[in-house]
Amino acid sequence: MIGVGKMKQYSNVLDKPLSKGKQEVSLTAFAFLFSELVQYNQTQVDNIAELERRLEDAGYAVGSRVLELLCNREKGNRRETRLLGILSFVHSTVWKVLFGKVADSLEKGTEHEDEYMISEKELLVNRFISIPKDMGTFNCGAFVAGIVKGVLDNAGFPAVVTAHFVPIEGQQRPRTTILIKFADEVLKREARLSQ
Amino acid sequence: MIVCVAVVGHQNNPLYIQSFTDADDALKLHHIVHCSLDVIEERVNNPKKSGTTLNEAFLGLLYPTVNYKVYGYLTNTKVKFILVTTDLDVRDTDVRSFFRKFHAAYVDAVSNPFHVPGKKITSRTFAQTVSNIVGSYGLN
Repeated sequence: MIGVGKMKQYSNVLDKPLSKGKQEVSLTAFAFLFSELVQYNQTQVDNIAELERRLEDAGYAVGSRVLELLCNREKGNRRETRLLGILSFVHSTVWKVLFGKVADSLEKGTEHEDEYMISEKELLVNRFISIPKDMGTFNCGAFVAGIVKGVLDNAGFPAVVTAHFVPIEGQQRPRTTILIKFADEVLKREARLSQ
Repeated sequence: MIVCVAVVGHQNNPLYIQSFTDADDALKLHHIVHCSLDVIEERVNNPKKSGTTLNEAFLGLLYPTVNYKVYGYLTNTKVKFILVTTDLDVRDTDVRSFFRKFHAAYVDAVSNPFHVPGKKITSRTFAQTVSNIVGSYGLN
């Protein structure tokens, strides 16, 4: 989990509590590493779409491993077979482990049956990032979209996952929405299981 | 005793298979593991018929043969763990416990950033851990 607060300092090793407490990674260290990841990928691509795809691929590898790890650790050895079950698993369990808190909201798309949205007021990976004007709609949240796609694909819920900025009135920074569009086979299976 | 453990990918591709017998029956055990994949498929696709809980990872006894009992476990990523044992009076709780430890070892192996998901598990540490788990059950 990427930590938001500072860890308490102990002058004496004997003062440290025995319990491990929260296993947190320094947010600054993560931001630096993520910055390097973006910069490295920038040197390897010609356009924004390709850069987003590379970030998504990096996230995908994380997502597939996170799913395996959390299902062993958190889910009491139960397989997720329902759509809302896996979405709430991503929205709560996965988000909490990765970002230290549950995602701000999980909504169903109003226009399409197969679309769901996870919204974050300030996505952790975007915290110290401001996009240059010439990069248009580029969103580093593509990395998180990749993580979500990795979790869903490997759990048997193939989907196209994208990250978008949504401007909010009266606020300088837009909120980030992770848009999940499930494959037809997922909806058909869900309908069959609902009977 | 446990005579064979296997990890099979979601496309039924073998990721890891290990026999724990002195005899030359590895091929027979591979065949038993291969046959169990159809049973797992049946269990997962027709949960009502088989009586297993729809989302239970532990699939229980897949099928008994004259000399062996075959147990299965299906992870969230559709990776199958198969256990072949010669003990004909094994308790379900022991097998569940074995699979839990086996799953933890598998998670450690695939968490390696240099492991490519879907490819065979070549980690010596994983092989050693599995041997230790099998040994610790006193079933070997």
